[in-house]
Amino acid sequence: MKGIEKRLREEAKKLLETGSVSAVLAFRDGYDGDHPVPFAARDVSDADAIVFNEYCTHNLARYVTEYEPGTKIAIAAKGADSRALVVLIQEEKVKRDDLVILGIPCSGMKDARRGTVIDEATTGNTVNPVIHDIMLADQLPEPDTSPYSVLTDLESRGHDARWKFWRKELSRCIRCYACRNACPLCYCDPCFVDQTEPRWADKSPSLESNLMFHLTRFYHLAGRCVDCGDCSRACPMNIPLYLFHKKVAKECEEMFGQTAGMDPEETPVMVDFKVEDSDEILL
Amino acid sequence: MVKKIEHDRIQEIIAALMEKGILYAPVEDEEGVNFHLVDDPARVTLDFYNTVQGPKCAFFPQTEELIRYRMTHEGADAAEVEPDESPQVLFGVRPCDVRSLAIMDELFCGGGIVDPYWKNRRDNTTIIAYAFDTVDTVDFYGSFGIGAADDTGADILMVKVDGDLLLDARTEKGTALLAALDGLDEAAAEDEKRFAAAVEGAGALETRRIDTDCVARDLPGIFDSEFWQTEAAPCLNCGVCTFVCPTCHCFDITDETLFSKGRRVKTWDSCMFTDFTLHASGHNPRTKKHQRLRQRVNHKFSYYVTNCDVISCVGCGRCTRFCPVNIDIAGIVERARKRASSQQINNQ
Repeated sequence: MKGIEKRLREEAKKLLETGSVSAVLAFRDGYDGDHPVPFAARDVSDADAIVFNEYCTHNLARYVTEYEPGTKIAIAAKGADSRALVVLIQEEKVKRDDLVILGIPCSGMKDARRGTVIDEATTGNTVNPVIHDIMLADQLPEPDTSPYSVLTDLESRGHDARWKFWRKELSRCIRCYACRNACPLCYCDPCFVDQTEPRWADKSPSLESNLMFHLTRFYHLAGRCVDCGDCSRACPMNIPLYLFHKKVAKECEEMFGQTAGMDPEETPVMVDFKVEDSDEILL
Repeated sequence: MVKKIEHDRIQEIIAALMEKGILYAPVEDEEGVNFHLVDDPARVTLDFYNTVQGPKCAFFPQTEELIRYRMTHEGADAAEVEPDESPQVLFGVRPCDVRSLAIMDELFCGGGIVDPYWKNRRDNTTIIAYAFDTVDTVDFYGSFGIGAADDTGADILMVKVDGDLLLDARTEKGTALLAALDGLDEAAAEDEKRFAAAVEGAGALETRRIDTDCVARDLPGIFDSEFWQTEAAPCLNCGVCTFVCPTCHCFDITDETLFSKGRRVKTWDSCMFTDFTLHASGHNPRTKKHQRLRQRVNHKFSYYVTNCDVISCVGCGRCTRFCPVNIDIAGIVERARKRASSQQINNQ
């Protein structure tokens, strides 16, 4: 990854020198090297502070929607980050031409807080960016594991057992909204859960209002979530959110034959209609 | 008079404490070790560095019912929920977190209006502090004059030494509680020595330090600086920092009604949320995230000092440990000081 860091700094310097971008979205060191912080380099001198290591797990596409439309941005994009960018392009939140995508093929990223290696159990395991302008390293071999095998256990349990599982997990939610705020595709302003007229979910973290928040959020993400896992990593209460959004993603893929965030020319499934779409839900 | 119990028998002491009142203690749960209302002694643990959240939940729960009501044809039939007066025990609290309670006292009962929900519980709670025996790289409680085995504000100080828990009362409340717990053994002279040695050893532990001297004086000068935009750039504006923090205390009051029945509740709120300062008019003075981060840092390190004579931070490090993007408040304060001093130099 030192090679990637070096190349990232070089490309950032070039882009900032020529003024072709206003900012390069990358990472800098935090209070120590194992806790990097997302960082927008704006001057050439900022480029020296850029780092890239196995702890640079954050989906930087999250920050793209903070910029004025039309701002030229370069972004260090890992696999899932690139897919999130694709969804943002599909949804016209950003123009392809306004992005310089610095693709980073990588695997073996680590969660410093939990001391775990991040893999297909908690992410979509998209090791290679699906869209890029400049690739900062060689493509990695595509993994032969499925990002949905982690669902097998839950899927094998009956309806009542699964409902019990989610009621237990979601009662732990403290409604900090780290999950929503970490998500690159949760950009609604205002978010339904912040509305007071009407109030869709109570402010207090009762199970009922937690269910209202999470179930609605997962369905708002159907066909859009790119399985980056940032929400699950952000959660201070270790709620396995990835199990839910993986299930929603899997169902969408099976019903509509399309994977979220792969091709900028596609339209996300929930805002599109094809004659051959399943009408199971109506029957 | 030190009392002791083998650490392996901790469940006995927990069960005994549960009989004395509502017990909040560190419990091993899916999120890690966190303060919970204890219903099962087997789940209490002292095997942790610090808990996910601070112990403020024992006095300031995330949801507090204030009023229950029912709509009838005649109008609203409402009844206040009486503030709780049950005796409580708070077990296994690290010294920095014990200090947080005194800081919150300034707000909730420091002057003018007294919050009965907070005060009742504080008055009725016996606090058993739990000394640190190691330091990690994130804590900075030493910056506030808090020691690893500091007993300020504790009714009982507890240390874990070899396989034993040694407890020593620091107040009358503490003495009374220890006397009432049958399962504890009287400590031998040897144990008294071990207790003293543990406290001394903890006294030598050094956390990282930030200079807190006159920080309240420095911060206002850089209020308009672009410093805040830079520092706030990675912030996600979630509420993790405020919800794990032992000194954050902002709350909201809302009515939760279903058909004709409902309750008025006080719930934790967060200055980091986008709608925290949203006015009924629709105006929002803090729409940008740098304004909110600036507010949080200034509130803790400047405004609270002006209003209550103490910094509203105990350096527990939780906000840093749990921030999804690794923002470090200690680092922000240090850089703010540097910015303030270089600005002063430039202005001269």
